[in-house]
Amino acid sequence: MAVPAAVQLVDLALKATTAYERPDLAVRLQATRARLADPNVRVLIVGEFKQGKSQLVNALVNAPVCPVDDDISTAVPTEVRFAETTTVTLVRVPPGVADGAPLDSREPVEERTVVETSRLADFVSEAGNPENRAGLHHAEVTLPRKLLQSGLVLVDTPGVGGLGSAHGAATMAALPTADAVVLVSDAAQEYTAPEIDFLRSAMGLCPNVGCVVTKTDLYPHWRQIVELDKGHLRRAGVEAEIYPVSSALRLAGAETGDAELMSESGFAPLVGFLLRKVVARADDLDRRSTSQDVRAVAEQLSAQFTAELAALEDPGRAEALVEELTRAKARADDLRQRSARWQITLNDGVADLISDIEYDLRDRLRAVTREAEQLLDDADPADIWDQFAQWFHQQVSQATSANYVWTAQRARWLAEQVSEHFAEGADAALPEIHIDGSRLGGSVQALEQPEGEKFGIGQKLFVGMRGGYGGLLMIGLATSFAGLALLNPFSIAAGLLFGGKTVRDERKRQRERRRAEAKTAVRRHIDEVTFQVGKDSRDTLRRAQRQLRDHFTVLADELSVSLATSVAAAQGAVTSDVSGRQKRIEDLKAEISRVESLATRARALVDEK
Amino acid sequence: MSEHSTLRTPAQPVGLGAEVRTLLRRTIDVYADSPQAVGWLRHHLARFEEPLRVAIAGKVKAGKSTLLNALVGEEIAPTDAGECTRVVTWYQDAPAPRVQLFPRAGAPRQLTIARSQGALQLDLGGLPAEQVDRLVVDWPSQYLRTTSLVDTPGIASLSADAAARAGAFLAPEDSPSQADAVVYLMRHLHSTDVRFLESFLDRGVARATPVNTIAVLSRADEIGVGRLDALTSARRIARRYRADPKIRGLCQTVVAVAGLLAQTGRTMRQDEYAAMAALAGMPRAELDALLLSADRFANREVEGAPAPEVRRRLVERFGLFGVRLGTTLIRQGVTDPSALAAELVRRSGLEELRSVLATQFAERRELLKARSALLAVELVLQREPRPTAQPIAAEMERILAGAHEFVELRMLSALRAGTVTFPADALPDAERLLGGDGSGVAARLGLDAATGPDELRAAALDAVVRWQRRAESPLASRTTADAARVVVRSCEGMLARLR
Repeated sequence: MAVPAAVQLVDLALKATTAYERPDLAVRLQATRARLADPNVRVLIVGEFKQGKSQLVNALVNAPVCPVDDDISTAVPTEVRFAETTTVTLVRVPPGVADGAPLDSREPVEERTVVETSRLADFVSEAGNPENRAGLHHAEVTLPRKLLQSGLVLVDTPGVGGLGSAHGAATMAALPTADAVVLVSDAAQEYTAPEIDFLRSAMGLCPNVGCVVTKTDLYPHWRQIVELDKGHLRRAGVEAEIYPVSSALRLAGAETGDAELMSESGFAPLVGFLLRKVVARADDLDRRSTSQDVRAVAEQLSAQFTAELAALEDPGRAEALVEELTRAKARADDLRQRSARWQITLNDGVADLISDIEYDLRDRLRAVTREAEQLLDDADPADIWDQFAQWFHQQVSQATSANYVWTAQRARWLAEQVSEHFAEGADAALPEIHIDGSRLGGSVQALEQPEGEKFGIGQKLFVGMRGGYGGLLMIGLATSFAGLALLNPFSIAAGLLFGGKTVRDERKRQRERRRAEAKTAVRRHIDEVTFQVGKDSRDTLRRAQRQLRDHFTVLADELSVSLATSVAAAQGAVTSDVSGRQKRIEDLKAEISRVESLATRARALVDEK
Repeated sequence: MSEHSTLRTPAQPVGLGAEVRTLLRRTIDVYADSPQAVGWLRHHLARFEEPLRVAIAGKVKAGKSTLLNALVGEEIAPTDAGECTRVVTWYQDAPAPRVQLFPRAGAPRQLTIARSQGALQLDLGGLPAEQVDRLVVDWPSQYLRTTSLVDTPGIASLSADAAARAGAFLAPEDSPSQADAVVYLMRHLHSTDVRFLESFLDRGVARATPVNTIAVLSRADEIGVGRLDALTSARRIARRYRADPKIRGLCQTVVAVAGLLAQTGRTMRQDEYAAMAALAGMPRAELDALLLSADRFANREVEGAPAPEVRRRLVERFGLFGVRLGTTLIRQGVTDPSALAAELVRRSGLEELRSVLATQFAERRELLKARSALLAVELVLQREPRPTAQPIAAEMERILAGAHEFVELRMLSALRAGTVTFPADALPDAERLLGGDGSGVAARLGLDAATGPDELRAAALDAVVRWQRRAESPLASRTTADAARVVVRSCEGMLARLR
């Protein structure tokens, strides 16, 4: 959520940088301002299918946006966000966006179609759009609701059959881009193993995790289930709050305007979590980072004034001061050098990380290949292909998403290391690193089915005749020495025998060939996945590296410029005369108090909420 | 498949069961010097005489114990809101109630029987669940006389041990399963369910047969979030699953059952009916407001309604859906307790499940038992191969290949898996004639059970002719013609039985 106060403060600080002719400081503030301009706070609603995810979204916004059915599940993610009018937009990302183009120009072009509000169900539910044949990326619904006004975006995800499936992997990859995750599970039973596993890895990727237990109206024992769930969470080391809710009660309450029902529905704490924890946290982050940036700018602005003031007030110490400042500048300049310790940490770290991640990916995929080949060896690929392909895709997506989660965690750790090493030279805040995995391996084509040869009656006959002819001729000629005709019972029997054997051999050969082809297809696919995902994660890491480098270089530059002006100011102070000195001191004090007021406002931004 | 007693001809001395029994005895003779093999085979010989063993399996909290109680008609399996069954528990018929605990190591010990509010309490006597191999509950019961039930811990349980124990019982890695048939419960079809169903289809002797598995869409009342038409919804979903080729290849059929409703319907007490009737007598709007949520129903003070404790017990036993349905039925004019109980049971889908169990399992008892026994013999032959056992292996092969019952089973699974195809109109006919809907003659011919023998014979003759034509059709591919011949053979078998 864009905090108006934060935006105002940044604008003010920007004015100050122009006034004091420090455009180098403006760069950082402009970036801050751009970040504030994007107000969205994304909350992913995830869970196994038929747990009441869509109904939860409906109850939250009090409108039947997401289709709900006893049987049919959601097939396409639906984003619900704020707007003055109700609209439905379908977003399609065309496949096969040109590969090999430079990093950032590869952003896929989205196709957006606006449809009638009532037709949403035709596109997002399994009934209207089975297995997402329409190829939608997601649907966007806008609603005029107070809850959403704060920038909250609710994302209803397709229910997954067991969180370990292909859908689950996609959800996992979307996690780092979300501000919060809400795991939905109904009060019919306590958490199962896949749900706890999901929560455990979600904790590592997303700052805010909440658990919702739905359908409390239906189950008299929901309190017991919640207690059991709390125990499971504690044992798994997951720190997440559990919110028992009843969507049916909230919807019924909203319909009749019954406040008692609304409070019984248990939604108040959940809404509180969304607004006070999720939105407020995003808000808080905005405030804190803005305040920090502005304070840093104010500090650097005032540095030159304080240096000059100190030199003016105590000319005897001026020389020592200049010396001290020069030393500080030298240190700051060191930070700008390529040989600075943080630079080395960053470059080495990213290189190590890339090779580690690649090794990890290869290792995981190798295991999948091995298992796949074993499976193909045990059966005829023609018989098991469909099942096999499904299993294989699932394994691959699991391996890549696990690899990806690891990448994200390691990258974050590296950023902390770099910032620590930078801080040895100067104080610095850790930037937010954006790791985007939404395009992870997106352009890999599905596993190809090897084209088997047909072995119909005709071919069998032909192959059999070919073999039989040889046998007939061979034995016929041999027995003709014994005075028998070329066509005698022995030669005919031999012909049949040979023919049969050839057919059998041919069948076996074809099966072997199918196996070999299937294995080649598997290897080719794995190769392509390794290549694509490897490239994607390398790109991601390089992007992160560039971000970190730019961020810290800017910091170092600012520091160096500030110190240089401070040195100049202090040196200038020594040369000025006595009468001018008194006036200058007063001026400086005024300037310092002006900059100080900026810093005070920045501090207030954090405290006031 | 000689279970259909009314049509059983006395002149049928050697059935499949007799043959397999003889084979078991011969194998015991051959392996007389190996105590382990003899023990194993004797166990299986004894098992032949026992009632059919049906295991109830499914994910955690799928309602396995509740369904078991509903089938037996008594609350003998303990149920709870949390994960409850942690050890494999056998329920079998006996003259007197008794609970025995078989530890992994050591002698079995007897547990005291405790009941609270009519439900049996099973206390492991301080022994941790992982050290218990199984519990055996003896209970005098009509239902258990023909079928022993086995309650298993949930799959995908957070206590991985419990899940592993269930897996080891139902789909052991190294030996044939201890259960003859499985009722698999699921709330919705998850990938873990499919994986488990697949693993239950064993390899080897009787070759992947979905024949001994029935899937049940349990907790059907909760599918529609407790709305009055929830069961209709559940049946529709079950029908969809039944038509899904992937699921057809894994189990016989899918039935929707509201376990809690069935259990309570079968064990309903007079005071519960009285409370229900009092509720139904309240003004409509007040009752609806009360029934909005389980919490309201259990705690709210309302004038004219039964006391909150009574209501709390009621919602625990019936579920919110059960109370909604019960009061609606009373309003619609069901005015005596037994009629209400019967209606609740009827609506729960339990009857459908019982009839499916009867046709699919009880009538096939001999066959399923024979199958388990052959699996046991095969295991012995594999583990301890010896030259003197050669004739046994040959005999087993002969029974497998020769017994038409097995041929039918294989053909049924082939039809269900889609490896053999018939035109759409002939497929249901073929499945029915092969015994897919029940192995009795009338069921195979799709006629009423009370149909007279003359009519049955005429229908069977008709079927023979129809399928003979299909088998001899020059356009039929070889597999189709072979399959048609199997159907013809089944029809001829029916004619023989009718004679």
